[in-house]
Amino acid sequence: MNPALLMWRAASFLVAAGFVGLWQLVANLKLVSPVFLPGPDRAWASLVRGFTSGDLLAKTIGTLEHMAYGWLLASIVGIALGAMIGSSKAMRSYVAPSLEFLRPLPVSAIIPVAIALFGLTQGMALFVIAFGAIWPMLLATVHGFAAVEPRLYEVARSLHMSRLAVIFKIALPSASPDIISGMRLSLTVALILAVVCEILAGLDGLGYWVLLSARAFRSADLFAGVILLGAIGYVTAQAMSMVEQRLLRWRTSGH
Amino acid sequence: MILSATARPHPPAAAVSPAKAQIAFSHVTLDLGGKTIIEDVSLDVKPGEFLCIIGASGCGKTTALRLAAGLYQPTSGDVTFDGASMRAPRRDVAIVFQDYGKALLPWRTAAGNVSLALETIGMPASQRPARIDELLHKVGLPNHAGKYPAEMSGGMQQRLQIARCLAQEPKALLMDEPFGALDAMTRQGLQDEVLELVAASGATVIFVTHDLEEAIYLGDRVIGLLPHPGRIGIELTIDLPRPRDQLTTREQPEFLRLRRELFDFIKASEA
Repeated sequence: MNPALLMWRAASFLVAAGFVGLWQLVANLKLVSPVFLPGPDRAWASLVRGFTSGDLLAKTIGTLEHMAYGWLLASIVGIALGAMIGSSKAMRSYVAPSLEFLRPLPVSAIIPVAIALFGLTQGMALFVIAFGAIWPMLLATVHGFAAVEPRLYEVARSLHMSRLAVIFKIALPSASPDIISGMRLSLTVALILAVVCEILAGLDGLGYWVLLSARAFRSADLFAGVILLGAIGYVTAQAMSMVEQRLLRWRTSGH
Repeated sequence: MILSATARPHPPAAAVSPAKAQIAFSHVTLDLGGKTIIEDVSLDVKPGEFLCIIGASGCGKTTALRLAAGLYQPTSGDVTFDGASMRAPRRDVAIVFQDYGKALLPWRTAAGNVSLALETIGMPASQRPARIDELLHKVGLPNHAGKYPAEMSGGMQQRLQIARCLAQEPKALLMDEPFGALDAMTRQGLQDEVLELVAASGATVIFVTHDLEEAIYLGDRVIGLLPHPGRIGIELTIDLPRPRDQLTTREQPEFLRLRRELFDFIKASEA
């Protein structure tokens, strides 16, 4: 790592540390009642306690599961559907208006529908998370497939490549930058909706834990939960960026 | 000049016996979007022949090549390869596109791009590395197997596309202004390499170019198209000795005479 980059890193850590320090200061001076705002020290203690003796690990896994299942379902359906729509001009013109109607629909609006259909169940959560997370991937895949260089299809024709080979060797890799950035966006949506569903349906996970802690005025536990959710968002996004860099090495290499 | 051109040594192509032709156009007309692009073109290309097509821009030379490739179907008339109608592209007819940057897979390395053709012809994975090595060596890219197209110069990318085409083991190579986007020195180097590769493989070549000297330097025969609609306007047999040399061939009086004749033809066709 070069010195300039190292300095930027150090500076950004300092800023973060400054925020935590400020938070501690506010808590120590009791500018906000400790019932509502614990200091970072108490939040951290609660976090440690939750993991060593409590069930915070189980809650974290619960939230990760909701998020992952919904996101995976959305990925599979979104990419498959996007590939179908994107690779055919006719399909695009038939389906595009419906997509344009569904896409801006706030997902929170379909939660009551999902509850009516599935009840307060895991199935409801899966449906809502997948429905919300599918859009970035679906639209990115449609765009990616529609934007494949026509010349490459001619290369495929002159080589007599099979339909399947064209999809897996040409269209998918060509659309992969779009698809992966769609998947990264969806990851955040999936986390948000996982928390919302847990809160609404009382499903086992950090969302419900945060809600219960707030109701019981256990502010340290509440903050521990929020910190954990933030960490999940950060770590999953970082992991996705790493996958992206690895898969798309061909895009960054070059002169 | 133009009048004398039609009376030049070889008779019009349509008169050549079609049995001997590998690629044959018979009375081919193509309409695209209500416009006639190619009109009544008859043309025979013998096996192993190197045919160059020249013409002013918009004369339909690329369209003619795409017809030969089976990427377009004629509105009337027929294009045949070894006697069979070209209803679709064939694996043994390879196409070298001008825009190499678009015709290569940017997410695959040089080796991966050559491999695409080998995978498609069904070569077992165990045999591919040796063949890829051989092909990259042939086109002068022996040490670039692991590079992505974006890491290669234009000349190298075009070499790579040629390697992929050779991997198809083609009976015919159709080249659409393959060196049009390259600088003069790179172009001359590639001209000689293509001549060597073609001589070694015995493939038939149709080579479209707007560079008259390139056409004369490479070809056994040069056909000039007239624009609007595209039709054959001149046909010259090139009797320059082979192997050709960038300096001596281009200095021969016959070369200069042919160049003059094509130049006059282009000028008249644009008038």
